[in-house]
Amino acid sequence: MSGGLPMSVLVRVFMRSLFLQASWNPQGMQNLGLAYAVFPALEKLYPEPEARRAAVRRHLVFFNTHPYVAAAIVGGVLFHEQRISRGEETPDKVVSFKAALMGPLAALGDGFFWLSLRPAVGAICAGLVPVLEEWSAVLFLVLYNLVHFSLRARLYWVGLSLGDRLVEAVARAKLPARGARLRAVAAASAGGLAAYLAADFGANAGGASAPLLAVGCLALGAASYVLVSRRVPNYVVLYVAAALACAAGAFL
Amino acid sequence: MMVSWGHVLLAGAWGGIVALERKAFLQAMLSRPLVAATVMGLLLGDVESGLKVGMLLELFHLGAANLGASLPENDTLSATGTAAAAAAMAEATGAGSTEALWSVAILLFIALGRLGRQADRKLEGYSTRLAAKARSIAEEGDVNRAVRQNLWGMWPHLVVYGLATASCALAGYALGPLLDGLPLGVARGLAWSYPAMASVAAAIAARGSHARRAAFWASLGALTVALGWTALRLRGDA
Repeated sequence: MSGGLPMSVLVRVFMRSLFLQASWNPQGMQNLGLAYAVFPALEKLYPEPEARRAAVRRHLVFFNTHPYVAAAIVGGVLFHEQRISRGEETPDKVVSFKAALMGPLAALGDGFFWLSLRPAVGAICAGLVPVLEEWSAVLFLVLYNLVHFSLRARLYWVGLSLGDRLVEAVARAKLPARGARLRAVAAASAGGLAAYLAADFGANAGGASAPLLAVGCLALGAASYVLVSRRVPNYVVLYVAAALACAAGAFL
Repeated sequence: MMVSWGHVLLAGAWGGIVALERKAFLQAMLSRPLVAATVMGLLLGDVESGLKVGMLLELFHLGAANLGASLPENDTLSATGTAAAAAAMAEATGAGSTEALWSVAILLFIALGRLGRQADRKLEGYSTRLAAKARSIAEEGDVNRAVRQNLWGMWPHLVVYGLATASCALAGYALGPLLDGLPLGVARGLAWSYPAMASVAAAIAARGSHARRAAFWASLGALTVALGWTALRLRGDA
Protein backbone atom coordinates (compact mmCIF):
# COMPACT_ATOMS: atom_id res chain seq x y z
CA MET A 1 0.00 0.00 0.00
CA SER A 2 1.10 3.61 -0.64
CA GLY A 3 -1.12 5.94 1.35
CA GLY A 4 -4.28 4.14 0.27
CA LEU A 5 -3.37 2.77 -3.15
CA PRO A 6 -2.86 -1.02 -3.23
CA MET A 7 0.31 -2.44 -4.78
CA SER A 8 -1.72 -3.99 -7.63
CA VAL A 9 -2.89 -0.51 -8.69
CA LEU A 10 0.63 0.91 -8.45
CA VAL A 11 1.93 -1.90 -10.67
CA ARG A 12 -0.92 -1.38 -13.16
CA VAL A 13 -0.16 2.33 -13.38
CA PHE A 14 3.52 1.62 -13.97
CA MET A 15 2.73 -0.94 -16.69
CA ARG A 16 0.29 1.45 -18.37
CA SER A 17 2.90 4.21 -18.27
CA LEU A 18 4.83 2.13 -20.83
CA PHE A 19 2.10 3.19 -23.30
CA LEU A 20 2.68 6.89 -22.57
CA GLN A 21 3.38 7.77 -26.21
CA ALA A 22 0.81 5.49 -27.85
CA SER A 23 -1.16 8.46 -29.16
CA TRP A 24 1.48 11.18 -29.08
CA ASN A 25 0.12 14.21 -30.91
CA PRO A 26 1.41 17.71 -31.64
CA GLN A 27 -1.29 19.48 -29.59
CA GLY A 28 -1.49 17.64 -26.28
CA MET A 29 1.63 15.49 -26.90
CA GLN A 30 1.55 12.80 -24.13
CA ASN A 31 -1.67 14.03 -22.51
CA LEU A 32 -3.81 11.06 -23.45
CA GLY A 33 -1.02 8.65 -22.52
CA LEU A 34 -0.69 10.19 -19.05
CA ALA A 35 -4.44 10.08 -18.44
CA TYR A 36 -4.45 6.44 -19.57
CA ALA A 37 -1.55 5.57 -17.25
CA VAL A 38 -2.94 7.09 -14.05
CA PHE A 39 -6.57 6.10 -14.65
CA PRO A 40 -6.54 2.94 -12.45
CA ALA A 41 -5.38 5.07 -9.50
CA LEU A 42 -8.00 7.77 -10.19
CA GLU A 43 -10.69 5.09 -10.34
CA LYS A 44 -9.64 3.89 -6.90
CA LEU A 45 -9.19 7.33 -5.35
CA TYR A 46 -12.41 8.88 -6.67
CA PRO A 47 -15.38 6.51 -6.39
CA GLU A 48 -17.73 9.46 -7.09
CA PRO A 49 -18.22 9.77 -10.89
CA GLU A 50 -18.09 13.58 -10.93
CA ALA A 51 -14.84 13.76 -8.92
CA ARG A 52 -13.33 11.06 -11.15
CA ARG A 53 -14.31 12.95 -14.32
CA ALA A 54 -12.72 16.12 -12.95
CA ALA A 55 -9.55 14.20 -12.09
CA VAL A 56 -9.30 12.69 -15.59
CA ARG A 57 -9.93 16.09 -17.21
CA ARG A 58 -7.03 17.69 -15.34
CA HIS A 59 -4.71 15.10 -16.88
CA LEU A 60 -6.00 15.57 -20.42
CA VAL A 61 -4.24 18.92 -20.70
CA PHE A 62 -0.89 19.39 -22.47
CA PHE A 63 1.85 17.14 -21.14
CA ASN A 64 5.24 16.28 -22.59
CA THR A 65 8.46 14.98 -21.13
CA HIS A 66 11.01 12.25 -21.75
CA PRO A 67 9.12 8.92 -21.82
CA TYR A 68 11.43 7.22 -19.27
CA VAL A 69 11.74 10.00 -16.70
CA ALA A 70 7.98 10.52 -17.07
CA ALA A 71 7.85 7.63 -14.57
CA ALA A 72 8.91 10.11 -11.87
CA ILE A 73 6.07 12.46 -12.80
CA VAL A 74 3.56 9.60 -12.99
CA GLY A 75 4.64 8.59 -9.47
CA GLY A 76 4.43 12.22 -8.33
CA VAL A 77 0.94 12.57 -9.82
CA LEU A 78 -0.20 9.61 -7.69
CA PHE A 79 1.45 11.19 -4.64
CA HIS A 80 -0.51 14.42 -5.20
CA GLU A 81 -3.77 12.77 -6.23
CA GLN A 82 -3.80 10.78 -3.00
CA ARG A 83 -3.41 14.00 -1.00
CA ILE A 84 -6.11 15.70 -3.10
CA SER A 85 -8.51 12.80 -2.56
CA ARG A 86 -7.94 13.11 1.20
CA GLY A 87 -8.62 16.85 1.08
CA GLU A 88 -5.05 17.78 2.06
CA GLU A 89 -4.34 19.64 -1.19
CA THR A 90 -6.22 21.54 -3.86
CA PRO A 91 -6.30 20.07 -7.41
CA ASP A 92 -4.16 22.90 -8.80
CA LYS A 93 -1.16 21.45 -6.91
CA VAL A 94 -0.90 18.42 -9.20
CA VAL A 95 -1.31 20.58 -12.30
CA SER A 96 1.50 22.93 -11.23
CA PHE A 97 3.64 19.94 -10.20
CA LYS A 98 3.46 18.54 -13.73
CA ALA A 99 3.97 21.91 -15.39
CA ALA A 100 7.02 22.68 -13.27
CA LEU A 101 8.78 19.36 -13.74
CA MET A 102 8.05 18.17 -17.27
CA GLY A 103 10.46 20.60 -18.98
CA PRO A 104 13.53 20.12 -16.75
CA LEU A 105 13.04 16.35 -16.58
CA ALA A 106 12.65 16.18 -20.37
CA ALA A 107 15.98 17.97 -20.79
CA LEU A 108 17.60 15.63 -18.28
CA GLY A 109 16.17 12.48 -19.88
CA ASP A 110 16.96 13.57 -23.44
CA GLY A 111 20.53 14.44 -22.46
CA PHE A 112 21.19 11.20 -20.62
CA PHE A 113 19.20 8.55 -22.46
CA TRP A 114 18.89 9.78 -26.06
CA LEU A 115 22.16 11.67 -26.41
CA SER A 116 24.45 9.65 -24.14
CA LEU A 117 23.41 6.15 -23.08
CA ARG A 118 21.90 5.08 -26.41
CA PRO A 119 24.81 6.31 -28.58
CA ALA A 120 27.34 4.81 -26.16
CA VAL A 121 25.69 1.38 -26.02
CA GLY A 122 25.05 1.50 -29.78
CA ALA A 123 28.66 2.36 -30.61
CA ILE A 124 30.11 -0.19 -28.16
CA CYS A 125 27.90 -3.00 -29.46
CA ALA A 126 28.42 -2.07 -33.12
CA GLY A 127 32.15 -2.11 -32.34
CA LEU A 128 31.81 -5.61 -30.91
CA VAL A 129 30.04 -7.03 -33.99
CA PRO A 130 33.30 -8.42 -35.44
CA VAL A 131 33.85 -10.34 -32.17
CA LEU A 132 30.40 -11.21 -30.87
CA GLU A 133 28.51 -11.26 -34.18
CA GLU A 134 24.73 -11.51 -33.58
CA TRP A 135 25.22 -11.64 -29.81
CA SER A 136 26.19 -7.97 -29.98
CA ALA A 137 22.48 -7.22 -30.58
CA VAL A 138 21.60 -9.20 -27.44
CA LEU A 139 24.30 -7.36 -25.51
CA PHE A 140 22.83 -4.06 -26.71
CA LEU A 141 19.42 -4.96 -25.25
CA VAL A 142 20.87 -6.21 -21.97
CA LEU A 143 23.23 -3.27 -21.35
CA TYR A 144 20.73 -0.61 -22.31
CA ASN A 145 17.74 -2.05 -20.53
CA LEU A 146 19.61 -2.75 -17.30
CA VAL A 147 20.00 1.00 -16.95
CA HIS A 148 16.68 1.90 -18.59
CA PHE A 149 14.34 -0.31 -16.56
CA SER A 150 16.15 0.05 -13.24
CA LEU A 151 16.11 3.87 -13.53
CA ARG A 152 12.52 3.92 -14.77
CA ALA A 153 11.29 1.82 -11.85
CA ARG A 154 13.38 3.78 -9.35
CA LEU A 155 12.14 7.13 -10.65
CA TYR A 156 8.53 5.94 -10.37
CA TRP A 157 9.09 4.95 -6.77
CA VAL A 158 10.90 8.21 -5.97
CA GLY A 159 8.01 10.26 -7.40
CA LEU A 160 5.48 8.16 -5.55
CA SER A 161 7.17 8.46 -2.19
CA LEU A 162 8.68 11.97 -2.36
CA GLY A 163 6.33 14.04 -4.56
CA ASP A 164 7.93 17.43 -5.24
CA ARG A 165 11.10 16.45 -3.39
CA LEU A 166 11.94 14.01 -6.20
CA VAL A 167 14.00 16.81 -7.79
CA GLU A 168 16.68 16.46 -5.07
CA ALA A 169 16.78 12.68 -5.51
CA VAL A 170 17.11 13.01 -9.30
CA ALA A 171 19.87 15.62 -8.91
CA ARG A 172 21.83 13.19 -6.70
CA ALA A 173 21.97 10.69 -9.60
CA LYS A 174 24.41 13.07 -11.42
CA LEU A 175 23.06 12.07 -14.82
CA PRO A 176 24.64 14.97 -16.78
CA ALA A 177 28.18 14.10 -15.60
CA ARG A 178 27.65 10.41 -16.33
CA GLY A 179 26.23 11.32 -19.73
CA ALA A 180 29.35 13.28 -20.67
CA ARG A 181 31.53 10.24 -19.93
CA LEU A 182 29.25 7.99 -21.96
CA ARG A 183 29.45 10.33 -24.96
CA ALA A 184 33.26 10.11 -24.89
CA VAL A 185 32.97 6.30 -24.82
CA ALA A 186 30.66 6.45 -27.85
CA ALA A 187 33.14 8.54 -29.84
CA ALA A 188 36.10 6.32 -28.90
CA SER A 189 34.18 3.13 -29.80
CA ALA A 190 33.18 4.55 -33.18
CA GLY A 191 36.78 5.57 -33.90
CA GLY A 192 38.03 2.14 -32.87
CA LEU A 193 35.53 0.42 -35.13
CA ALA A 194 36.52 2.64 -38.07
CA ALA A 195 40.15 1.56 -37.60
CA TYR A 196 39.20 -2.10 -37.32
CA LEU A 197 37.05 -1.98 -40.45
CA ALA A 198 39.85 -0.32 -42.42
CA ALA A 199 42.46 -2.84 -41.26
CA ASP A 200 40.15 -5.77 -41.87
CA PHE A 201 39.27 -4.52 -45.35
CA GLY A 202 42.94 -4.11 -46.22
CA ALA A 203 43.77 -7.59 -44.98
CA ASN A 204 40.90 -9.23 -46.86
CA ALA A 205 41.02 -7.36 -50.17
CA GLY A 206 44.53 -6.06 -50.51
CA GLY A 207 47.11 -8.78 -50.94
CA ALA A 208 50.40 -6.95 -51.40
CA SER A 209 48.74 -3.54 -51.27
CA ALA A 210 46.87 -4.29 -48.01
CA PRO A 211 48.46 -1.48 -45.97
CA LEU A 212 47.67 1.04 -48.72
CA LEU A 213 44.01 -0.01 -48.91
CA ALA A 214 43.66 0.01 -45.12
CA VAL A 215 45.13 3.50 -44.88
CA GLY A 216 42.91 4.65 -47.76
CA CYS A 217 39.80 3.33 -46.02
CA LEU A 218 40.80 4.99 -42.74
CA ALA A 219 41.52 8.26 -44.58
CA LEU A 220 38.04 8.05 -46.10
CA GLY A 221 36.61 7.81 -42.57
CA ALA A 222 38.68 10.77 -41.36
CA ALA A 223 37.67 12.85 -44.40
CA SER A 224 34.03 11.94 -43.75
CA TYR A 225 34.33 13.19 -40.18
CA VAL A 226 35.63 16.55 -41.42
CA LEU A 227 32.94 16.82 -44.11
CA VAL A 228 30.11 15.99 -41.72
CA SER A 229 31.53 18.50 -39.22
CA ARG A 230 31.28 21.10 -41.99
CA ARG A 231 27.60 20.26 -42.40
CA VAL A 232 27.87 18.26 -45.61
CA PRO A 233 24.79 15.97 -45.46
CA ASN A 234 25.47 12.44 -44.18
CA TYR A 235 23.80 10.91 -47.23
CA VAL A 236 26.02 12.83 -49.65
CA VAL A 237 29.16 11.68 -47.82
CA LEU A 238 27.96 8.07 -47.76
CA TYR A 239 27.03 7.93 -51.45
CA VAL A 240 30.23 9.67 -52.58
CA ALA A 241 32.33 7.23 -50.51
CA ALA A 242 30.42 4.29 -51.98
CA ALA A 243 30.94 5.60 -55.52
CA LEU A 244 34.68 6.13 -54.96
CA ALA A 245 35.12 2.67 -53.45
CA CYS A 246 33.05 1.10 -56.21
CA ALA A 247 35.19 2.77 -58.88
CA ALA A 248 38.37 1.72 -57.07
CA GLY A 249 37.18 -1.86 -56.72
CA ALA A 250 36.14 -2.05 -60.36
CA PHE A 251 39.26 -0.59 -61.91
CA LEU A 252 42.20 -1.24 -59.54
CA MET B 1 10.30 -14.17 -59.67
CA MET B 2 10.69 -16.61 -56.79
CA VAL B 3 9.00 -15.27 -53.63
CA SER B 4 8.84 -16.87 -50.20
CA TRP B 5 5.51 -15.47 -48.99
CA GLY B 6 6.12 -16.75 -45.48
CA HIS B 7 9.23 -14.59 -45.31
CA VAL B 8 7.35 -11.57 -46.69
CA LEU B 9 4.75 -12.02 -43.94
CA LEU B 10 7.42 -12.39 -41.27
CA ALA B 11 9.19 -9.28 -42.53
CA GLY B 12 5.93 -7.32 -42.37
CA ALA B 13 5.09 -8.59 -38.89
CA TRP B 14 8.50 -7.75 -37.44
CA GLY B 15 8.61 -4.38 -39.23
CA GLY B 16 5.22 -3.49 -37.74
CA ILE B 17 6.08 -4.66 -34.23
CA VAL B 18 9.32 -2.72 -33.97
CA ALA B 19 7.69 0.39 -35.43
CA LEU B 20 5.18 0.14 -32.59
CA GLU B 21 7.92 -0.39 -30.04
CA ARG B 22 9.89 2.58 -31.34
CA LYS B 23 7.19 5.17 -30.93
CA ALA B 24 4.18 3.93 -29.04
CA PHE B 25 5.11 1.27 -26.50
CA LEU B 26 8.01 0.35 -24.22
CA GLN B 27 10.97 1.82 -26.13
CA ALA B 28 13.33 -0.89 -24.94
CA MET B 29 15.38 -0.39 -28.12
CA LEU B 30 14.20 -3.48 -30.00
CA SER B 31 13.70 -0.94 -32.75
CA ARG B 32 17.35 0.17 -32.91
CA PRO B 33 18.93 -0.70 -36.28
CA LEU B 34 21.44 -3.15 -34.80
CA VAL B 35 18.72 -5.16 -33.06
CA ALA B 36 15.83 -4.75 -35.50
CA ALA B 37 17.91 -5.60 -38.58
CA THR B 38 19.67 -8.56 -36.93
CA VAL B 39 16.36 -10.10 -35.86
CA MET B 40 14.98 -9.44 -39.35
CA GLY B 41 17.91 -11.37 -40.81
CA LEU B 42 17.34 -14.17 -38.31
CA LEU B 43 13.66 -14.40 -39.23
CA LEU B 44 14.40 -14.48 -42.95
CA GLY B 45 17.13 -17.07 -42.59
CA ASP B 46 20.07 -14.73 -43.29
CA VAL B 47 21.34 -13.42 -39.99
CA GLU B 48 24.62 -12.19 -41.46
CA SER B 49 22.91 -9.79 -43.88
CA GLY B 50 20.77 -8.45 -41.03
CA LEU B 51 23.73 -8.04 -38.71
CA LYS B 52 26.01 -6.29 -41.20
CA VAL B 53 23.25 -3.98 -42.44
CA GLY B 54 22.21 -3.31 -38.83
CA MET B 55 25.74 -2.48 -37.71
CA LEU B 56 26.23 0.05 -40.48
CA LEU B 57 22.84 1.68 -39.98
CA GLU B 58 23.27 1.78 -36.19
CA LEU B 59 26.39 3.87 -36.75
CA PHE B 60 24.82 5.99 -39.49
CA HIS B 61 21.83 6.93 -37.31
CA LEU B 62 23.68 7.01 -33.97
CA GLY B 63 23.36 10.74 -33.37
CA ALA B 64 19.67 11.07 -34.26
CA ALA B 65 17.28 11.71 -31.37
CA ASN B 66 13.62 12.50 -30.89
CA LEU B 67 13.82 15.73 -28.90
CA GLY B 68 10.56 17.45 -27.97
CA ALA B 69 8.33 17.82 -30.99
CA SER B 70 11.16 17.34 -33.51
CA LEU B 71 11.09 14.22 -35.65
CA PRO B 72 14.31 12.48 -36.58
CA GLU B 73 14.55 10.12 -39.56
CA ASN B 74 12.83 6.81 -39.00
CA ASP B 75 15.96 4.72 -38.39
CA THR B 76 13.84 1.64 -37.67
CA LEU B 77 12.14 1.61 -41.07
CA SER B 78 15.49 2.23 -42.70
CA ALA B 79 16.94 -0.80 -40.85
CA THR B 80 14.06 -3.25 -41.18
CA GLY B 81 13.42 -2.35 -44.84
CA THR B 82 17.09 -2.60 -45.82
CA ALA B 83 17.65 -5.85 -43.90
CA ALA B 84 14.49 -7.42 -45.34
CA ALA B 85 15.54 -6.44 -48.87
CA ALA B 86 19.09 -7.72 -48.36
CA ALA B 87 17.92 -11.08 -47.00
CA ALA B 88 15.35 -11.46 -49.78
CA MET B 89 17.96 -10.60 -52.43
CA ALA B 90 20.33 -13.18 -51.00
CA GLU B 91 17.58 -15.80 -51.08
CA ALA B 92 16.57 -14.86 -54.63
CA THR B 93 20.12 -15.04 -56.01
CA GLY B 94 20.74 -18.35 -54.28
CA ALA B 95 24.39 -17.33 -53.89
CA GLY B 96 24.04 -16.36 -50.24
CA SER B 97 24.99 -13.23 -48.41
CA THR B 98 27.76 -11.05 -49.87
CA GLU B 99 29.21 -7.61 -49.26
CA ALA B 100 28.15 -6.50 -52.75
CA LEU B 101 24.58 -7.42 -51.97
CA TRP B 102 24.61 -5.50 -48.65
CA SER B 103 25.94 -2.47 -50.50
CA VAL B 104 23.13 -2.60 -53.06
CA ALA B 105 20.51 -2.96 -50.32
CA ILE B 106 21.96 -0.07 -48.31
CA LEU B 107 22.33 2.24 -51.30
CA LEU B 108 18.77 1.57 -52.43
CA PHE B 109 16.91 1.44 -49.11
CA ILE B 110 18.76 3.58 -46.55
CA ALA B 111 16.73 6.64 -47.57
CA LEU B 112 13.61 4.94 -46.22
CA GLY B 113 14.45 6.78 -43.00
CA ARG B 114 13.38 10.01 -44.67
CA LEU B 115 10.17 8.53 -46.03
CA GLY B 116 9.48 7.16 -42.57
CA ARG B 117 9.81 10.60 -41.05
CA GLN B 118 7.17 11.91 -43.45
CA ALA B 119 4.89 9.00 -42.59
CA ASP B 120 5.42 9.68 -38.86
CA ARG B 121 4.31 13.28 -39.41
CA LYS B 122 1.16 12.15 -41.23
CA LEU B 123 0.29 9.68 -38.48
CA GLU B 124 0.41 12.48 -35.91
CA GLY B 125 -2.74 13.88 -37.52
CA TYR B 126 -4.59 10.70 -36.62
CA SER B 127 -3.37 10.88 -33.01
CA THR B 128 -4.49 14.51 -32.78
CA ARG B 129 -7.99 13.48 -33.79
CA LEU B 130 -7.91 10.70 -31.20
CA ALA B 131 -6.93 13.14 -28.43
CA ALA B 132 -9.76 15.49 -29.44
CA LYS B 133 -12.19 12.57 -29.45
CA ALA B 134 -10.98 11.50 -25.98
CA ARG B 135 -11.59 15.00 -24.63
CA SER B 136 -15.11 15.08 -26.04
CA ILE B 137 -15.90 11.60 -24.65
CA ALA B 138 -14.58 12.72 -21.25
CA GLU B 139 -16.87 15.78 -21.40
CA GLU B 140 -19.79 13.43 -22.03
CA GLY B 141 -18.82 11.56 -18.86
CA ASP B 142 -17.40 8.21 -20.06
CA VAL B 143 -13.85 8.72 -18.78
CA ASN B 144 -12.93 5.04 -18.99
CA ARG B 145 -13.63 5.01 -22.74
CA ALA B 146 -11.94 8.39 -23.10
CA VAL B 147 -8.58 7.24 -21.75
CA ARG B 148 -8.73 3.99 -23.73
CA GLN B 149 -8.54 6.06 -26.93
CA ASN B 150 -4.82 6.13 -26.18
CA LEU B 151 -4.41 2.54 -27.35
CA TRP B 152 -6.02 3.26 -30.74
CA GLY B 153 -3.00 5.40 -31.56
CA MET B 154 -0.90 2.28 -32.02
CA TRP B 155 -2.49 0.37 -34.87
CA PRO B 156 -1.54 2.76 -37.72
CA HIS B 157 2.16 2.31 -36.90
CA LEU B 158 1.78 -1.46 -36.93
CA VAL B 159 -0.07 -1.51 -40.25
CA VAL B 160 1.75 1.23 -42.18
CA TYR B 161 5.28 0.13 -41.29
CA GLY B 162 4.40 -3.56 -41.50
CA LEU B 163 3.21 -3.06 -45.08
CA ALA B 164 6.22 -0.90 -45.93
CA THR B 165 8.67 -3.53 -44.66
CA ALA B 166 6.86 -6.36 -46.43
CA SER B 167 7.11 -4.30 -49.65
CA CYS B 168 10.86 -4.01 -49.16
CA ALA B 169 11.14 -7.79 -48.86
CA LEU B 170 9.15 -8.14 -52.09
CA ALA B 171 11.40 -5.58 -53.79
CA GLY B 172 14.38 -7.64 -52.64
CA TYR B 173 12.98 -10.75 -54.33
CA ALA B 174 12.47 -8.73 -57.54
CA LEU B 175 15.96 -7.23 -57.48
CA GLY B 176 17.85 -10.41 -56.60
CA PRO B 177 17.91 -11.98 -60.11
CA LEU B 178 19.12 -8.67 -61.60
CA LEU B 179 22.26 -8.81 -59.43
CA ASP B 180 23.31 -12.07 -61.06
CA GLY B 181 23.84 -10.21 -64.31
CA LEU B 182 26.25 -7.62 -62.91
CA PRO B 183 29.73 -7.56 -64.53
CA LEU B 184 32.46 -8.93 -62.25
CA GLY B 185 34.19 -5.55 -61.93
CA VAL B 186 31.02 -3.85 -60.74
CA ALA B 187 30.33 -6.66 -58.26
CA ARG B 188 33.88 -6.27 -56.91
CA GLY B 189 33.41 -2.49 -56.70
CA LEU B 190 30.18 -2.94 -54.78
CA ALA B 191 31.94 -5.36 -52.44
CA TRP B 192 34.52 -2.65 -51.72
CA SER B 193 31.75 -0.13 -51.14
CA TYR B 194 30.52 -1.91 -48.01
CA PRO B 195 33.65 -1.42 -45.85
CA ALA B 196 33.99 2.11 -47.23
CA MET B 197 30.42 2.95 -46.22
CA ALA B 198 30.90 1.28 -42.83
CA SER B 199 34.00 3.37 -42.26
CA VAL B 200 32.09 6.52 -43.21
CA ALA B 201 29.20 5.49 -40.94
CA ALA B 202 31.65 5.03 -38.04
CA ALA B 203 33.00 8.53 -38.67
CA ILE B 204 29.44 9.90 -38.77
CA ALA B 205 28.79 8.06 -35.47
CA ALA B 206 31.84 9.62 -33.84
CA ARG B 207 30.58 13.02 -34.96
CA GLY B 208 27.04 12.15 -33.83
CA SER B 209 28.15 10.99 -30.38
CA HIS B 210 27.62 14.56 -29.08
CA ALA B 211 30.87 14.19 -27.11
CA ARG B 212 32.96 17.22 -26.32
CA ARG B 213 36.28 16.70 -28.10
CA ALA B 214 34.71 13.89 -30.14
CA ALA B 215 37.59 14.01 -32.66
CA PHE B 216 40.10 13.42 -29.87
CA TRP B 217 38.20 10.45 -28.43
CA ALA B 218 37.60 8.93 -31.87
CA SER B 219 41.27 9.29 -32.78
CA LEU B 220 42.26 7.71 -29.47
CA GLY B 221 39.94 4.77 -30.13
CA ALA B 222 41.23 4.39 -33.69
CA LEU B 223 44.88 4.57 -32.59
CA THR B 224 44.35 1.99 -29.84
CA VAL B 225 42.70 -0.47 -32.21
CA ALA B 226 45.26 0.14 -34.97
CA LEU B 227 48.15 -0.52 -32.57
CA GLY B 228 46.44 -3.60 -31.13
CA TRP B 229 45.73 -4.93 -34.62
CA THR B 230 49.32 -4.37 -35.75
CA ALA B 231 50.73 -6.00 -32.60
CA LEU B 232 48.51 -9.05 -33.09
CA ARG B 233 49.54 -9.37 -36.76
CA LEU B 234 53.23 -9.06 -35.91
CA ARG B 235 52.89 -11.70 -33.20
CA GLY B 236 51.07 -13.94 -35.68
CA ASP B 237 53.84 -13.50 -38.28
CA ALA B 238 56.62 -14.15 -35.74
